[in-house]
Amino acid sequence: MRWLVACLLILVSTAASAETFRFTAIPDENQSRLEERFDKVAHYLEDRLGVEVEYVPVKSYSAAVSAFRNDQVQLAWFGGLTGVQARRLVPDSRAIAQGKEDAEFRTYFIAHHDSDIDTQGDDLPKNVQGKAFTFGAKTSTSGRLMPEYYIRNQFGAPPKSLFSRVGFSGDHTRTIALVESGTYDIGAVNFKVWDAAVADGRVDTDKVDVIWKTPTYPDYQWTVRGDVDSRYGDGFTDKVRQALLDMHDPELLESFPREGFIPADNDDYQPIEDVGEKLGLLR
Amino acid sequence: MREERAPGLLAGDSLNLRLARRSLGLIALCLVLLPFADLAITTHDPWAELGRMLSGLLHPDILATESLPHAIALTIGFALWGTLLGMLLGFPLALLFPHSRLLRGGCAFVRAIHELFWALLLLQVFGLSAVTAIAALTIPYAGIFAKVYAEILELTPRAPVDALPEGVGRLSRFVYAELPMVWSRLSSYTRYRFECAMRSSVLLGFVGLPTLGFHLESAFREGRYPEAGALLWLFYLMIASLHLWGHRRLLPWIALGSLFLLGPWPDIDGALLWRFVSVDLWPQPLLEGNWSGLWQWFGEIPDLLPAIGNTLLLGLMGTAGSLVVALLLWPLASRHFGNRPTRMAGKGVLILMRSTPELMLAFIFLLMLGPSMLPAWLALSLHNGALIAFLVARHADAIVPGSHALPASGRYAYELLPRLYGGLLALLFYRAETIIRETALLGMLGIATLGFHIDSSFAYMMFDQAFVLLLITAALNIGVDALARRYRPREIAETPGQHDRPAGEAPC
Repeated sequence: MRWLVACLLILVSTAASAETFRFTAIPDENQSRLEERFDKVAHYLEDRLGVEVEYVPVKSYSAAVSAFRNDQVQLAWFGGLTGVQARRLVPDSRAIAQGKEDAEFRTYFIAHHDSDIDTQGDDLPKNVQGKAFTFGAKTSTSGRLMPEYYIRNQFGAPPKSLFSRVGFSGDHTRTIALVESGTYDIGAVNFKVWDAAVADGRVDTDKVDVIWKTPTYPDYQWTVRGDVDSRYGDGFTDKVRQALLDMHDPELLESFPREGFIPADNDDYQPIEDVGEKLGLLR
Repeated sequence: MREERAPGLLAGDSLNLRLARRSLGLIALCLVLLPFADLAITTHDPWAELGRMLSGLLHPDILATESLPHAIALTIGFALWGTLLGMLLGFPLALLFPHSRLLRGGCAFVRAIHELFWALLLLQVFGLSAVTAIAALTIPYAGIFAKVYAEILELTPRAPVDALPEGVGRLSRFVYAELPMVWSRLSSYTRYRFECAMRSSVLLGFVGLPTLGFHLESAFREGRYPEAGALLWLFYLMIASLHLWGHRRLLPWIALGSLFLLGPWPDIDGALLWRFVSVDLWPQPLLEGNWSGLWQWFGEIPDLLPAIGNTLLLGLMGTAGSLVVALLLWPLASRHFGNRPTRMAGKGVLILMRSTPELMLAFIFLLMLGPSMLPAWLALSLHNGALIAFLVARHADAIVPGSHALPASGRYAYELLPRLYGGLLALLFYRAETIIRETALLGMLGIATLGFHIDSSFAYMMFDQAFVLLLITAALNIGVDALARRYRPREIAETPGQHDRPAGEAPC
């Protein structure tokens, strides 16, 4: 027992003495070589903040939220909904910056050509009813929350009763692959991922194309824990925010991928929180 | 005259007739319930994606993955420590196992929850750390070891103990007269569990722990198939070469060495841990003692009954499908059929099918067949069927055929199968519990089993819901296991020496 206590003390003390500032981030797409790409961001932050900074690779947003909650990371690049989840679990945590694109984010509804959906008009076409439909990941803002909101808004019915099948592809890239292969007729996808896939020629637009673009909403943002000022020095939160806003190196920004960062705060995400509660994804 | 007539299929009491009735009953039940399953084929254009997948498998890119040696080391480290600690916990429990109903129940419970779900649960308090990974393996493995070790110890020959003089202490009796008799079986089972742990350790990467599966899942999900292909080949290679590096003298050094890679150890926040087990896991109305509120809370769990139905149905279909696949495939790897090259190829196919994670098989079928229960059914049947076929082929190779004059079909039907069938069915019924555990896993792909809703609950951070669904899943698994044990052909499964692996083995 004494040994156990001693071991625990050693573990705790080593963890406490090395006050490294840790962050995590998951890009919208292309999660290859995460460490290599984000270590550069870590170096940049280290220079600007004057503390040791480390990147923690994470696979899913729910894993990112639990790492944030457990204080394994103090700063995280979250999606709209997962950011709200994280801030609810960690009192006093704050959204400090968002991508330039994130103030006006969109979801694209894409469809396979064989599904004969007419794309006239400003709304989601009426004849999507009865088709097979896939969301992205379950807690994705652009792949799940907002598309479900707009579907319910327009048809006054939940997706389950509207479509013949409702799936969760788990990922934007996979949504595109599944609609292109005709596994699902329609999919909801992050507009940036779609644009990048079209630009790179990774998607065959003779088979699959955009049928509707949603109105804009706020999405990805940087969220920092509320206790960092007391742990890393007064004004640390502001220093982090400034460092993010000053990040102009295209090589660093490409990892997210964003054109740059602009200020944001918790209130910017109130609409997301409201929709999340309405759909029962937050409580 | 009358007593010489062969009894009918329904009336006879011979062992093989009983086995035949059970298998036909299983298949008939599956056929009757099949209309309730969603088996539509809806896809129409999968070939481009499948082509990319195949080309990735044929042109693997081993350099695409970063920090690969680290991922490999962690995969092995987690598996090794998970097995080791599971064994250390499981062995003393095995000694108490026959005497305590409570202990047996507890072990059945921890076994019934899939490693991945343990990981999701532990992730909430220990974060993405080695503690989460190792505990996710150790907890269910302790339950498995307790049960299997107890079964092995039960079969200890009595003679050496009886030969001891009176007054020999319990401990000396155990160490000198009992343990040596079963040592080889215990260690062979432990070694075999380690192989299972390697597979599980890779799977842990799917929920974000930094093993091989972390990179494999990302690459596969994002369609980076050359990278995914390389990682899959690497995984096959690690499993196939286990007998080379998994040597008893080498393993302690690997275990010690891997300790240096497992950190940083997480800072455990006591308040958070307490909050998680005392508040987060329990429904709010229950904590407030509000019973009508609790009923309402229960009603808010989406589609609970269909999920239970789907889980059981997919489990049944998977079991019946595995039976058919195993019956068709075992001759591929047996020395009684074909020639050397065909057998090599057959064995290769079986190893690939049983080693490929079910989730990936299911995704390939999802692309080919569309989103229904069909991809999951095929994946479960092929994976488990191939696994059973492989073991049955090994049993078959131990049989010396009596008549060489028979053609292959005759040898299969009249000579070998009657002798192997009991063993095959025993393996299948052991496997039923694992199959139902795996249906939960396939839920993560979007088939609306209980696992689908557990995955959702964790994603929505509704831990109380996840916890109740896990309890329901565990109860179902325990029920299925009890049922399978009831119908398992006991006479064959529990004859010592009949199997080259210990009794009670459920292949992973």
